[in-house]
Amino acid sequence: MIEDLLVIIGMIMLGIGAVADLIAAIGLNRFKNFYLRLHAATIGTIWGAFVPLIGASLIAAGSPCLGVYRWFVAGGGLAIAFLVLILAPAGSHALARATHRSGLVRVEPCVVDHLNEDMCVKEG
Amino acid sequence: MRHILGLIIVLLFIIGFSLVLIVAGNYILPSHEIGMLAKYYLYLAYNPWQRNFTVMSPEAVTSIVWDFRGLDTVFETAVFYLAIIGSIALGRGIVKYIKPEEEELGLSLIVKTVTRISAVMIIAVAASIALHGHLTPGGGFQGGATAAVAPLLIIVIFSHYYLLEKGVTKDLMLFLRSLGLTGIAIVAIIVYLIALPQGIHAYVLQNQPKPDSSIGLPAYINGQLISGTLWFFNLFEFFAVMAGFTIVFLLITIPERAFRKEEEGEKQ
Repeated sequence: MIEDLLVIIGMIMLGIGAVADLIAAIGLNRFKNFYLRLHAATIGTIWGAFVPLIGASLIAAGSPCLGVYRWFVAGGGLAIAFLVLILAPAGSHALARATHRSGLVRVEPCVVDHLNEDMCVKEG
Repeated sequence: MRHILGLIIVLLFIIGFSLVLIVAGNYILPSHEIGMLAKYYLYLAYNPWQRNFTVMSPEAVTSIVWDFRGLDTVFETAVFYLAIIGSIALGRGIVKYIKPEEEELGLSLIVKTVTRISAVMIIAVAASIALHGHLTPGGGFQGGATAAVAPLLIIVIFSHYYLLEKGVTKDLMLFLRSLGLTGIAIVAIIVYLIALPQGIHAYVLQNQPKPDSSIGLPAYINGQLISGTLWFFNLFEFFAVMAGFTIVFLLITIPERAFRKEEEGEKQ
């Protein structure tokens, strides 16, 4: 019973991951500037990689047919999910911060930029 | 027009080269005896019923690298050692680091915190790759190269000076690397040194007993498989490679302005 539940929850998380990856890909293609695209890319790593990894670990934990090795698969999946969870936001944060501080990419179109008003290019 | 000409030349080169490879491949086929060698390696890597020929390591690659062709690997390590010596010789005399005072060093606090967590995990994974080298794919070199990523990350994210202030200096790494290489040299002749007082005949780089030499390092310690010399080779190679790569990373990330100030000081 609990194993079936684990597999179903895992499958739902895999599905969420697939949809989120599609949304992130569309966002990466359609968003207007570098910072927004970075946001879409991070959606792809958190909702599209962290969540499905947790789901895969749950599916492995709920599959007795894999024998004792299912705990290795589940543990490995959880460890990798934790690493993705902390590393992906740090990476995109470092990219955005470095780009903004060096003034390499201007925020365009922009509503408000409290960090540096000169970087803000208003539309129209 | 020039693009198309270049493309045709590249295409002709690739097709001609693959033709040469096919023709050559038909002539340089290894003989049947050499093909059987691979079978023997797999058969003897872990074989408690053939104690005079086996390496007692389930990892066929490590048993080939550190036992069947151990001398080759020792020479490889020596080549790596010489390459590091060369880079140290290039960077000689750059000892005085002038730390900039007002500048903010490194990336933001978020990245630094994440690096603090992940650097420890990198070292742990590297140690597991190296110390399980005789059981699972991996080994001393691979583990050492993985461990060297941690100082590289710290150099990029915290700055060169942070690593130096924490005590990871070129001299300490040089000491660690020399320790590792000395360890490899001692492990290479340890069976010979044990056999010498007992008057038994033994070989350099011997691991398990051989048909004409009944001595070898124990394959199990306390029920744990260590495969004789392989575990020690992996451990010392881990230290030597990690320290060697760290030295190179420290040398190539010396800021140019510190170097320039040193040069100007010399001129005056």
